[in-house]
Amino acid sequence: MKIHPLFSTFANAVKKAEIESDKICLVSDFLYQPKISEYLGFDLFHVTRGRSIPFATGMKLGNPKLKVVVFVGDLITLGGNHFMHASRRNMDIVVICVNNFLYPKINGKKSPTIKSAFSPYSVFERPVNIPHVARSSRAVYVARWTALHKKELTESMTRALGKSGFSVIEVISPGNCYFAGIPASPKENELIEFYHKNSEIKNDEDTKNVEITAEKKIIVGKFFEKKRPTYIDSYNERHSKVIGDKFKIYE
Amino acid sequence: MAFGIEAEKEVIMKANKKDVLTGSYYIDGDVAAAYGAIAAGCKFVGGYPITPSTEAFEAFVHRAPYVGGITIQMEDELGSIASILGAVWSGKKAMTITSGPGFSLMMENIGLGAMLETPFVLLNVQRSGPSTGLPTQAGQADMMQSRWGANGDYEIIAISPDSPQEMFDYTIKAFNLSEKYRCPVMIMADECVGHMTEKVVVPEADKINIEPRRFYKGPKEKYLPFKPDKDLVPPMAKAGDGYKLHISGLTHDEKGYPTFSQTPDTKRLVDKIRLNADKIIELNEDEIDDADVVVVSYGITSRVAIRGIEQARAKGLKVGNLRLVTVWPFPEKRIAELSKKVKAFVVPEINYGQIVYEVERCAHGNANVVLVPHGGGFVHNPEDIFKAIKYAAQEKKKVEGIIEHKTELYRLIHEKNS
Amino acid sequence: MNKKTVEIRFAGYGGQGIIRSGIIVGRAGAIYDDKFTTMNQAFGPEARGGACSSQLLVSDDKILYPYVAKSDILICMAQEAYEKFEPELKNDGLLLYDLDLVNLKNKRGKVKLYSIPSTRFAEELGQKIIANVVMMGFFTAITEVISVDAMKKSIPESVPSRFVELNLNAFDKGYNYGKNLVK
Repeated sequence: MKIHPLFSTFANAVKKAEIESDKICLVSDFLYQPKISEYLGFDLFHVTRGRSIPFATGMKLGNPKLKVVVFVGDLITLGGNHFMHASRRNMDIVVICVNNFLYPKINGKKSPTIKSAFSPYSVFERPVNIPHVARSSRAVYVARWTALHKKELTESMTRALGKSGFSVIEVISPGNCYFAGIPASPKENELIEFYHKNSEIKNDEDTKNVEITAEKKIIVGKFFEKKRPTYIDSYNERHSKVIGDKFKIYE
Repeated sequence: MAFGIEAEKEVIMKANKKDVLTGSYYIDGDVAAAYGAIAAGCKFVGGYPITPSTEAFEAFVHRAPYVGGITIQMEDELGSIASILGAVWSGKKAMTITSGPGFSLMMENIGLGAMLETPFVLLNVQRSGPSTGLPTQAGQADMMQSRWGANGDYEIIAISPDSPQEMFDYTIKAFNLSEKYRCPVMIMADECVGHMTEKVVVPEADKINIEPRRFYKGPKEKYLPFKPDKDLVPPMAKAGDGYKLHISGLTHDEKGYPTFSQTPDTKRLVDKIRLNADKIIELNEDEIDDADVVVVSYGITSRVAIRGIEQARAKGLKVGNLRLVTVWPFPEKRIAELSKKVKAFVVPEINYGQIVYEVERCAHGNANVVLVPHGGGFVHNPEDIFKAIKYAAQEKKKVEGIIEHKTELYRLIHEKNS
Repeated sequence: MNKKTVEIRFAGYGGQGIIRSGIIVGRAGAIYDDKFTTMNQAFGPEARGGACSSQLLVSDDKILYPYVAKSDILICMAQEAYEKFEPELKNDGLLLYDLDLVNLKNKRGKVKLYSIPSTRFAEELGQKIIANVVMMGFFTAITEVISVDAMKKSIPESVPSRFVELNLNAFDKGYNYGKNLVK
């Protein structure tokens, strides 16, 4: 059975980050098929379309000891607002956005992340620049890699898992049913290599320059990293200040 | 199987002393609901404040840090309800608080809550609608939405309190029911009850019974997240405990894995409420045994209706009062039973007809059903309810369908004039 | 059944403590006098400045209909409020008003009238804002719907501890003024 490179990278990252696997919770929704959990055996919650980030927010607040990882597809459509606000609050979750430029399994549906896709008249809207949205809504860790940048991606994931705060990693990778039903379309493994070949590593690049277009190479790299108090940190700080000794730190 | 049997034993648990502010208070219904939630052990509220429910959210936010709880004001109601589902799965008791427009946004995740058999409580302080409607005025027009709002088949429990004291008491009951049946429980209050200030007595902690979460107690590797006990409700596990949960909103089997056809688990979502309905339903009945007319009402209207009923009784009419404390599941059997004995049902509600359809369905054509509609914005004038009772008591012939009281009066007046 | 329900409306303009008055009197009745009381306040555009009011029902039995239909007692602390709510007063109702802030129009039916310069008294005590407390004292004396003891227990619950004495003084001032009138 062919296993997507993403799974092994994630598994390696969990191992490297030395996180107890019981404490890892994956949340995902319909824009990305979460086979990953079935192979790796983490707790998985597969929720309504676009609501994985607020669901993860609740999980993290319900039990701050969990390490909540959100696997999503082209998250900027459904739930784009949740993305920005979770980022603004610095909720302590890792968002791995698997960008396949298309919704797997849904033919003819436009994705907001690419210019030319398979709608009967193609897509004439401009795509969205995910790292830039993450950066401008104040995420603490922003990176983009293709699925074949295994070493770099593992490193990024390890870093994000070990960090507290809202971390976003965009992974460029074909979905599992990419171009389904379209004759003469590239095969999955050809495509994944194509992305890798047509990318260029530029660490610490300003995120406003990393928009993906048909003309330019895909710019990948670790774009941004910073430390900032998480929602729970700020909650504890504020309440200790106002309530004083009667307040028990929420953890 | 052996694993469920432990959970079937009656576990009597009392409220936590720290969570209960024993004493008498003069507070509004919204605040009372927040106090009730805390007394029931609720530790998480994700909400988006909306009139007329803001006081409840505010009161919870204020008290939460003292009882080890946490709150978050989400970006919208879609997020609020998703967040409480997440919090429940990581082990907390959780509630969200909203009103009409927010309630509409919450629908998809009410469906998810039902599908994942997630126990949570939703307080809807109803305003008058549709859409933004009358934010500061009472309505009862979300009743059908609460039952049928999300896509697909599922059952929920809905309670309709009529005073701040009941907002406190029934919020606790709502939490207990949701834990017992692992389903969404809605408190369908209205602006009038939410904003009304009355005396609320908070009893001592050991007088408050709490239904504990049904955590699975068997060996980890044998756990199946959707394998039910005898009462059709599966025991629960929480995230982070090493159960390798696979919890999906897709139609799933006992393991939680997606299937490509309906499974017995889908039917169970409906059955666990329907087959336990007799245990869930709570009704208040008054002078119903020899009544000619029975007034069926819920929420604030059930209080106002008593005035009309008293007026009618003073005129010698035999009127019974049936108050629905739990509106969903609907007391089908009781209404069917009564329909054989009484002439008519009178159903006042602050909408243009919702629960009246249920009454008509269960009356099976045996008795007339008279609706006393109200467009919202205020409560009924008791006089209107009295007139409807008088009309219902006089009408001898069986009329098909629902008789809308005011329209009927106009018809009678026109017939007389012409 | 509900015959003993007394329907009361406090009316004035925003900022005079009208809602607070409803809560204090309601709490005194419900918790310290062991009666049933229901308080409702105006929400919406009404609550944002201009005439503002709170409704209070006091009864020996459970209160069913939660709003004031026709008030037995109307307490007015502003002209606008007087004009808006006076027509709602019963023909044999009781009208209490601030002498300096309300100009009466023609008298109607058997309405009984009592007035007090509550705002002036409050200013004399050093805080204009406690005019509503003076008025509550006056209300307690004239109507005897709520007991003095209950009121004196209820007031401190709604004011910061450093102002309790001042508020109780204000209450006494209104109460004594009222008692002298009905003696």
